[in-house]
Amino acid sequence: MTVIARRNLKLFFRDRGGVVMSFLSVFIILGLYVLFLGDTMRSGLPDVPAADFLLDSWVMAGILAVTTVTSTLGAFGTMVEDRTRKTIKDFTAAPVKRRSIVGGYILSAFVIGVVLSLVTFLLAEIYIVAQGGEWLPVGAVLKIIGLILLSVLASSSIVFFITSLLRSQSAFTTTSTIIGTLIGFLTGIYIPIGSLPEAVQLIIKIFPVSHAGSLIRTVMVERPMELSFAGAPAESAQAFKLDMGVVYQFGDTTTTMGSSILVLVGTAALFYLLSIALMARKNK
Amino acid sequence: MSKIIEVSGLQKSFGELRAVQGVDFYVEEGSLFAFLGPNGAGKSTTIDMLTTQLKPDAGEATISGYKLGREDDGIRSSIGIVFQDSLLDPLLTVKENLFVRGSFYNLSRSELKAAVARAAATADVGDFLNRPYGKLSGGQRRRADIARALIHTPKVLFLDEPTTGLDPQTRKNVWTTIRQLQKEQGMTIFLTTHYMEEAAQADYIIIMDHGKVLAGGTPYELKERYATDLLKLMPHNAEELQAYLQSKALDYMIVSGVYHIPLKQTAHALPIVEGCGANIAGIEIVSGTMDDVFLNLTGTEVRS
Repeated sequence: MTVIARRNLKLFFRDRGGVVMSFLSVFIILGLYVLFLGDTMRSGLPDVPAADFLLDSWVMAGILAVTTVTSTLGAFGTMVEDRTRKTIKDFTAAPVKRRSIVGGYILSAFVIGVVLSLVTFLLAEIYIVAQGGEWLPVGAVLKIIGLILLSVLASSSIVFFITSLLRSQSAFTTTSTIIGTLIGFLTGIYIPIGSLPEAVQLIIKIFPVSHAGSLIRTVMVERPMELSFAGAPAESAQAFKLDMGVVYQFGDTTTTMGSSILVLVGTAALFYLLSIALMARKNK
Repeated sequence: MSKIIEVSGLQKSFGELRAVQGVDFYVEEGSLFAFLGPNGAGKSTTIDMLTTQLKPDAGEATISGYKLGREDDGIRSSIGIVFQDSLLDPLLTVKENLFVRGSFYNLSRSELKAAVARAAATADVGDFLNRPYGKLSGGQRRRADIARALIHTPKVLFLDEPTTGLDPQTRKNVWTTIRQLQKEQGMTIFLTTHYMEEAAQADYIIIMDHGKVLAGGTPYELKERYATDLLKLMPHNAEELQAYLQSKALDYMIVSGVYHIPLKQTAHALPIVEGCGANIAGIEIVSGTMDDVFLNLTGTEVRS
């Protein structure tokens, strides 16, 4: 299993173009934010102190959540390619267990997802500080790293399920494009959830990756919110959290970090079980 | 000699298409065995089943003492496969590829190192061991593919169309390597091809078409049975020759002034030649080829 995982890692990181492509959605979101989305959002927060710090932290948190999906998607590209190029035949013709092969793909995708997300996190922090914000305190950094691990686990399970259905390279490319385009909307990054109609809000709220976004935002905007909402009433801070998807509301209940963590754990369990069931059926 | 592969009643259908319809044959240990047939004959499907890639619908097979379907890992450990397409990773070097694929065979680190070195030497890939597989020429790739198949010193080496798409020089090199493996290491070679001249070099040939075995035998036996020798005569006086042939009740065909007379045996040419005596301006005896065998069996030229 580790041999196949190591091979996949080598293949992924040697294909420089592919690595850059995995960051493409991130660059697009960042570009849109720097060019005009940021200005629109800022105009909604007049007279708020440290508004840049707050919004930068918020958007970076969202980008981080998206990275957990796009990076694992790129990583599972190796699996689809092995299937379409029939390289997989050379594996199955050797006395190697099917589950070691599959385990190798998942392990490598997880490692790639974590590595790319950590790199994104580092770059995000540099950007925030360069724009006049503050570094995240050590405790929060550790929390983010933990959340990255969990988010990558959940995202990779969804991506693995989707890619295990794909049978051709063009199907994979199309799927990548669709996911890359939709993901920014589905996690409420391009447009904050508060500005969207009820139905769309519901889609965002039940999309598991949004909960990764909510968790990471909660940690990353904690400090800037202290600054921005220092003298403001508690209600306005809560309203901001709801509008920006730091927490979600279902009826009268508001999500907490605990509930969002549960969503991610449940997602990982559900999709990995589904994929295994699917594979077991196909092997018959 | 003992039988290293035994196949009986092997069948496989893909929906309506009956790709392999009950195939029986055996392969003797240490022999060079060729599977000859046009594309779509069912060769690759048969190989895919024997190499545990595809589950047969019916039938049995034993490879190197292991039952297909029950002891697949045993089969997988004792066979090496050179696939029709290149299946090594283009971005990795030949050496990296060999180490990755070699690690599938439960070897210790030092055993693996030795195995890779041995396979690399046998297939002669030393010159480009550290170059990425994707940057190699077609012939170099094929040699790397062979090295990969040899890592675990298999008892049987399967080669699916090993020389398709290679230039004549490289084809010759590949054949030399295959021959060496058979002669020096006693490896059983099982190859598929649609090149007649390649099949003719095998110890035993099976001709397959439309999912069925049409005939099997050594190249000599097949030619004896399914091909005829041809006597080509160029006469000084055509009418005299024609009269002579008719008097002896011999079949003939005239191709641009040359008389083609089919022979059951080469020696049958002698009385005819003597009978014509001084009327002969030119003479040639052509022995039957695998092409003729194939033509007679399938009724068609090789579809490639």
